[in-house]
This record gives sequence, C-alpha cells and structure tokens, in this order.
Amino acid sequence: MVDFVQNTLDGVMTGSSYGLLALGFTLIFGVMRRLNLSYGPSIMIGAYLGTLVYVQLSAGPLVVIAVTLLGAVLAGLYVERLCFAPMAAGAGVASMVSSFAIWMQLEQAAVLALPRHTYPFPPLATGAPLNLGPFLLRVDHLIMLTGALALSACVHLLIYRSHFGLGLRAIINNPVAAHLVGINVRAAIVRAFALASAVGGVAGYLVLAVDQQVTPMFGMWATIKGLIAMMIGGLGSIPGAILGGLLLGVIEAHSQWYFGPHIRDLFAYLALFACLALRPGGLLGEALHEPFERGA
Amino acid sequence: MDDYLVGVLSNIGVISFIALSAYLLLLIGAISFGQQAFFAIGAYAAGIATALWGWPLWLALGWGAAMGGVAAVLVGLPTLRLHGLYFAIATLAFAEMVRLLFEQFRYQVTIDGEPVGPNGTDGFRGIRYIFENDVGPLQFLALIYGLLAVVLAGLMLLERSRLGAAFRMIGEDPTLAALNGIAVARAQLLAAALAGALAGLGGGLYAHLTTYLEPRIFDVMLGVHGLAYGLIGGLGTALGPLIGVLIDIGMLESIRVFAGYRMIIFGGLVAVLLIVRPRGLLDERLVHRIGRACSGLFGRPRPDKNGAERKPA
Repeated sequence: MVDFVQNTLDGVMTGSSYGLLALGFTLIFGVMRRLNLSYGPSIMIGAYLGTLVYVQLSAGPLVVIAVTLLGAVLAGLYVERLCFAPMAAGAGVASMVSSFAIWMQLEQAAVLALPRHTYPFPPLATGAPLNLGPFLLRVDHLIMLTGALALSACVHLLIYRSHFGLGLRAIINNPVAAHLVGINVRAAIVRAFALASAVGGVAGYLVLAVDQQVTPMFGMWATIKGLIAMMIGGLGSIPGAILGGLLLGVIEAHSQWYFGPHIRDLFAYLALFACLALRPGGLLGEALHEPFERGA
Repeated sequence: MDDYLVGVLSNIGVISFIALSAYLLLLIGAISFGQQAFFAIGAYAAGIATALWGWPLWLALGWGAAMGGVAAVLVGLPTLRLHGLYFAIATLAFAEMVRLLFEQFRYQVTIDGEPVGPNGTDGFRGIRYIFENDVGPLQFLALIYGLLAVVLAGLMLLERSRLGAAFRMIGEDPTLAALNGIAVARAQLLAAALAGALAGLGGGLYAHLTTYLEPRIFDVMLGVHGLAYGLIGGLGTALGPLIGVLIDIGMLESIRVFAGYRMIIFGGLVAVLLIVRPRGLLDERLVHRIGRACSGLFGRPRPDKNGAERKPA
C-alpha cells in the first residue's frame, strides 16, 4: 500500500511536467488546428542554449531559465515562419510533414553545435527529500508540480479572461470572421506560438533540471510525451492537458514499478491507443467532426 | 558495379516499399506514422521463416507480406474510422507498441550448435538465406527491383482502375464518395491491407538484405521518412515516392560530402519544397499535364478524365 501511494505520488510529480508539455502543444493545436511535431525539438534548442551558458559562462539558474525560454521561443517562431505561416489554409498535412523536417534539422544542428552525447544541466534544488509520514517527496518535484499548476492557471486566465485570449478564441472559432471584426490574426497566431513555446520552455527547463542532463533525444521525448498527454486529456482543452499529463505520469510510474522500464513505455502507448480507439476526443475534449484538413 | 553502389541501390529499392505503402494510404487521405510496424512484422516473419523454419525465400517473402496485410487489417478495423489526425497518432502508438513488443520477443532455435532467432533488444542475427543459397548481391538487387517493378506496375494499373478512382475520391471527400455509392469503410480497409502487405514485403526483403534485425531500426523516424518521401516526390503518381527516396537516400545519405549535414539539408529542402509545392514535385496537375502531352505525341488525343483528376492546391 505504501508503495502504491508512493508510486502514485511520483507519477503525479513526473506527470505535471508532461501536463505542461501538453499545454504548449494544445495551445498550438487549438489555434492552428495543426500538429507541430517540431514542438519538442524547439524546446531542446532552448535547453541546449541554456546548458551552453551554464557550461561556458557558469551562469546562475535565473540566467539559464531565461536563455532556455528565449531559445525555445526563437526556435518556435522559426518553425512557425517556415512550416505554418506560408502554408495555405487546408494544407495541414504539409505543415505537419514540414515541421517533422525541421525537427530533423534542429536535432542535427544541436548535435553539430554540441557533439557530446550528454551535457549537464543545472539542478533546481539539491537537498534531502521531504518526509511525509512513510512517503518521500523530492523538493524539485514539488517545485515542478507547483510550477505546472500555477502556469496552467495563468494560461487559462490568459485565454478566458484577457483581451488577447478573446481574440484567440475568436480565431479558433472562425478566422475569417475574426479578421473581419478587426483582429490581427497573423499577429495573434505568432503570439500564441511564442506563448506555447515559452510554456514548453518552462516544462523543458523543469524536466531537465530534475534530470540534470540534456541529450539531443530530448526533443523527440518532449514531442512524444506532450502528444500522448494531450491526446489522452483531449485536444484543445487546458484542464485536459494537465489531467492527461498527470494520468500518463501515474500510469508510467505504476507500470515501471511492476514491470520495468520497457513495459512502462508499452503501457503509455497502449493507454494512448485505447483512448483513441474508444474515446477519440480524449477525456475532456470533444471529438473533431470536420475532416482533418486534407492536402488540397 | 562496385559493392557500395549495389548496397545503396538495394537500400533505395527496399525503402521504396515503405514509401509506397505510406503513399497508398495518402491516396485515401489517411496519414500514417506507423507503416514501419508492418515493415518490421514482415521482416521478422520472413526472417523467421527462412532462418528457423527453412522455408524457401519466395514463400517467406509472401508470408511476410501476408502477415503485414493481416496486421494492417486488424489495426485498421478500430482506427480507420478515426478523424485523420487521430488516425495518424493511433498508427504512431501502434507502431511504437510493435517495436517495444519486438524488444521483448524471444524465439530461438539451436541450429548447428548456435542459437538463431529473435532475441529481444539484442536483435535477430543470422538470417543467412542468401549466403547459404549462393544468391549474390547483384542477384538480390535484381530480385528487389523485379518485385518493385511488379508492385509499381500494379499500383499504376490500380490508379487507372475504378478502385483507384474510388480511393482518390475517398481521399478527397469520404462523404461525397459514400454518396456516390462507394463502400468507404471496405475500400479503406482494402487500401490499408494492401499498404500493410507492401510494407511487409519490403520488410522481408530488408531482413534478407541486412541479415540482421534490431527492434530500434523500426522507430518512428523510419515511418515518418516513408511518409515524407511521398509528399516530397508527389502524390500524383506512384513514381512520386520513389523520387523522394532517391533524393534522400540516393543523394543525401550516400554522397559523403553531405555527411553530418544531411538532416539540415534534407529538412530545409522538404520545408521549402512543401511551401512551393504542397503536394510534392510530381503532383496531380503535373502528372495530368504530362499524361496529356504524351498522349498528344504518341497517339490520338484522349478526352480529359476530369473524374479522376484532383483540383490543384
């Protein structure tokens, strides 16, 4: 029983980072109705810049987080510029494949810039874990969970309570009508992209600070985890993203405990597959009814 | 021909199967990130058949293709009705499950005092059919391209048939296709089965070409590359995906000047190409134009086949 609760707690902690990754993902998808596969790799670029200032200039945590965020946002805007802005409405497949191509590009660029396989990343908090009765809680995990909840609340407020959010929701509803009532659609989309990349950057920073190392594989990891969590929780739903992330974290923690790391990944994909086959809209989302933007 | 060239050409031929498999699904408007799963299933099935059961190569390749097709039907049943994006992610999830299952898959038989067969993450060594039966690299190359030619001819015939027109119509608008009396679900399942069998056949060839399989070869990258080839080369004809494979493997991977920068060039190339030509180099419009020019040159002019033509992007 103690193990079960401890695993669940660990799962919730890791799951909060998945939830943040899914949050950025769902923002881009909600606005664009397109999948940005380069989402994780652009976070990885930010993290690489972060580790660069950490290793080369031995910068403090605040500088590292600022550089990581800035790098992720810049890389995200590069992706937007190349894969999303020039594509005609309805060329969603082209956007997705093109964002995959840019993923390859970013990954290779990171490997060329820093050729070693792993680089150190500054830890968030060192020190003994807290004791809560029989349970152990790592301090950096707690910071991660609090950060995830606070940030998702901020994003929620921004989308549902601000002028910018109102504009975004109008664009999601109907881009043409939004344009006609005087919303600068292009600028709003760019801002949404930057916001999503920044959220992803925070998620990436928190995860890497717990792991204390970064590899080029982080990009793929972030895209896959964010994608699964977003799909389980429901596309385009902010609480869904967090819930999906927490659920994925808990599933992974338990299956790792009982069956080991290989089976853990199997269970994560199984949960995703079952979710798609049985409830395609995710837990808190609505299934899309219009056909996914086909090529022409 | 030197060995390096034979190796590169063999690779191009084998990877073409997975590109054609993804292309076939693109015709019906389905984006699959998971054709590498059927490639893997075909590879393991055919490898086991020759190395462990002593089957002849042709039978093993057929068995691999059949297994790929059957698996595709089983996955297609719950997923093909999904909205395009969900389908793409479901195929991704399925393919990763298959890869992780092959990491757990152990089935070994002792042959000549040595264990042979799939051994989890250590892979599947000793698929030595072409050595034991004195099939030279050139002969195997001829086999690959012979099969590829048959498949291409089949696909081109298919595209000229009523079924091909039905596939493209479903890709354009499933509701409209259903209103025109096409059994959409059945046609989708058929396309998925054919695509799975194609990938399985390619997998069987791959297993005998490399003689060694490892689960991690069959990761998402392989599948997404297969998908990208069709979109680079063009969705107008089955030759399109082959052009994509040629550009990537033939040029960027094999010419050593590009080493280290392959992905930067390939990535940029794909991104720019998709802006300029969202449906690839050989898109429907170009193919149609070439077709008309050819029929004007070599025979009497044919009436437009507007029914089968797609509107350009």
